[in-house]
Amino acid sequence: MLQTAFNGVVTGVIMALPALAVTLLFGVLKFPNFAVGAMMTVAAYLAFALNAQLGWPLAAATVAAAVAMGALCIGIDQLTFRPLRERGAITLMVASLGLGFILENVARFAYGNTARSFAIELARPFRFADVRMNHEQMITIAVSSAAMIAMWVLLTRLPMGRAMRAVADNPSLALVRGIESPRVIRWTWFLAGVLLALGGVLIGMDRALEPPMGSNYLISVFGAAILGGLGSPLGAFVGALVIGVVSELSTLVIAPNYRIGIPLLAIAVILVFRPQGLFGQPYIRR
Amino acid sequence: MISFLILIGIVICFSAILALALNFQWGLGGMVNFGLTGFYALGAYSSALLMLKAGANTFVAALGAMAIVAAVCGLVAFVTLRVTEEDYFAIVTLGVGEMLRLVALNEDWLTKGALGLTGVPRPFGAAIPPQYYQYFLLALAMTLLLATLWFLGRLARSPFGRLVRAVREDDVVAATLGKNVLWVRVRIFAIGGAIIGLAGSLHGFYYQYIDPTQFSNIVIAYAFMAVIAGGRGAHRGAILGAAIVMLLLEGSRFLKDVIPALDSDRLAAIRVIMIGAGLILLLIYRPQGFFREYRLRADFK
Amino acid sequence: MSNILRVTALHAGYGAGDILKGVDLELAAGSILTIIGPNGSGKSTLAKTLAGLLPARAGTIELDGRSLNGLGAPKRVLAGISYVPQEYNVFRNLTVLENLKIAREFMGANGKAARGRDDGLEELFPELPKHYRIAAGNLSGGQRQMLAFACALAGRPKLLILDEPSAGLSPILTREVFERVERVNRSGVSILMIEQNAIEALRISQSCVVLNGGRVRACASAREVLGMKDLNSIYLGDASNRI
Repeated sequence: MLQTAFNGVVTGVIMALPALAVTLLFGVLKFPNFAVGAMMTVAAYLAFALNAQLGWPLAAATVAAAVAMGALCIGIDQLTFRPLRERGAITLMVASLGLGFILENVARFAYGNTARSFAIELARPFRFADVRMNHEQMITIAVSSAAMIAMWVLLTRLPMGRAMRAVADNPSLALVRGIESPRVIRWTWFLAGVLLALGGVLIGMDRALEPPMGSNYLISVFGAAILGGLGSPLGAFVGALVIGVVSELSTLVIAPNYRIGIPLLAIAVILVFRPQGLFGQPYIRR
Repeated sequence: MISFLILIGIVICFSAILALALNFQWGLGGMVNFGLTGFYALGAYSSALLMLKAGANTFVAALGAMAIVAAVCGLVAFVTLRVTEEDYFAIVTLGVGEMLRLVALNEDWLTKGALGLTGVPRPFGAAIPPQYYQYFLLALAMTLLLATLWFLGRLARSPFGRLVRAVREDDVVAATLGKNVLWVRVRIFAIGGAIIGLAGSLHGFYYQYIDPTQFSNIVIAYAFMAVIAGGRGAHRGAILGAAIVMLLLEGSRFLKDVIPALDSDRLAAIRVIMIGAGLILLLIYRPQGFFREYRLRADFK
Repeated sequence: MSNILRVTALHAGYGAGDILKGVDLELAAGSILTIIGPNGSGKSTLAKTLAGLLPARAGTIELDGRSLNGLGAPKRVLAGISYVPQEYNVFRNLTVLENLKIAREFMGANGKAARGRDDGLEELFPELPKHYRIAAGNLSGGQRQMLAFACALAGRPKLLILDEPSAGLSPILTREVFERVERVNRSGVSILMIEQNAIEALRISQSCVVLNGGRVRACASAREVLGMKDLNSIYLGDASNRI
């Protein structure tokens, strides 16, 4: 069971990155973006192209893919979401759904349906207190933790990070405090793109690369973000860990394929008892 | 060629019925159902299983499927709408749809999992000679489509329809007038669910086999395209939209013959990309003819 | 004396009709102008339009001779206008210190963000520092108001727009608020105030504008308006404000 819990922690830290992206995007753009799963997929395939096809080491490929994804996200926002900014959450959600379809199928078109893997060296896993941990998992925990810490510093110490939180808190007040919303939006997308790219690569390391790889996590990631409180970065992290561990542990009692029921249940429970999530603030829609 | 057109016609009909359901739940009721595919699968499987396992005839099976999907939709709406706003509702429907798809894929004992259900009966299948059956099915499908249209039209003009519009325009006002807003929404979603169940039954009658691959993202993408392309006002718009979408996309199957490099996986991918892009382009460039955005919150003042 | 603000034939609104139906007003540099009027007269709409949150449909707004037409709210802040909304005027999920930091980092007349702590805010609002680590949403109403006020001053604005600064405050706090308004004004900031608490506000103002139905109905010195018996009953808020 300890092994399962550990695997859950690994899943949780993997999900923490896209969960944070979801929460940042929701906070600044005010709608749930259903394309984040497919964005992870595309970024993972970008890294795959650099790593397995061009021979780059995975770390370099990941960094390149992250920057590329960040830029791509800004571009996507300009083309797709900016024209729809005034139209309301539902329109934006539908657009994001369509976008998700496009991105996932671009990956499918380019690489087909067969599963692929990154070109990384195999190393023997090691044991610690009866729990088997392999190198990929340790790297995953390290990378994700580093990314979360970096994000925390950014959001609390840097002016742009504060500006993002301000816009999430009160968009019109942010305007009259001199914060230009297009700039904040661009930065938010860039950071989201980077986080999603990291998440995608970690998923690719943990499982395999195939077109639905990102979308498979969509519900879990949203569950994590909602559990933690949409708009709360700390919540995204905690929520992801909880969902990850509970989902894995649940496989001990229910069929593994229904893991997705856990985040769904979490969403339902949270919505009934505490809609703002663990750490969120009730967002006053005006 | 005629055969092809008839078959396409049948598919258009039940796709249009599905689009009408989405149009009803979303356009009229303001509740966007991102789990549409899953509920559609539920309808198809329910109808097929009622016939194959419970021995029901096609008529009863279709009604049963409608009831089942209506009940599930109503339940989801009831549990979720008490506490939530449109964004969360969308996420929940996405999750439920996904759950339903997983059940279809995994519960082998019930659904035969990935193998699917074969030999699904069709109405009057034994009575009508095979070479004429497609005409019958087309007539049946068109009749059901028209019936759905008529029903929804009646509903829109009824007091319930006025109530629905009042709730959609301003649910705060409606609530202060004593209308039970939640119950109205639950009913809308459930009625939409019944229509989805009908479409699912027809799906089964047409293909005569049901497997999970029939219920991929393309379904919901088609439906959204149809609804958005059709625009407001008329459920008629949704039908027109469904027809256009279907023709365009079924027609694209012929691309495979023209461009040899495209295998079926890639072709399928291209079609989804086209629909996704079409969806976004429509949203950006055709705001008129697209129904008013439903807002649960008061406008910014 | 030159005008810091000149508004000409301003029209603005939210939906079909206009709420502001042609507002003209002038504010002399360095003075305090109070706008009074019944509910629904368009006072808050006027404030929002001046701040840039609502686009003007017609008319012009000039700040210190420079036209603000077409400038969005953040650029107007840089031009020297600062606005304190009536409600939701602080970032509730951020701490007091973070609120101030944002104000200092992003606001700034002359296009530059104000640097360092030499903006005198700590002297003007000495009660703030001890709350630095508290989330702004957890402050009392009066403390929030002071924080909002302080943030608005971070960029050394030329013109400060206050929408009902005393709303919901006790008489003592109200007095304090108006005292600070006077102090700020003495340091050179022109002030445009919307107030229901008209008497108190007019006592510290130089001029007064009466707004009703989206138009300016009267415009006079504050003293004159305070003296008018017939305006009292209609435009000066509730009975407790009567002289």
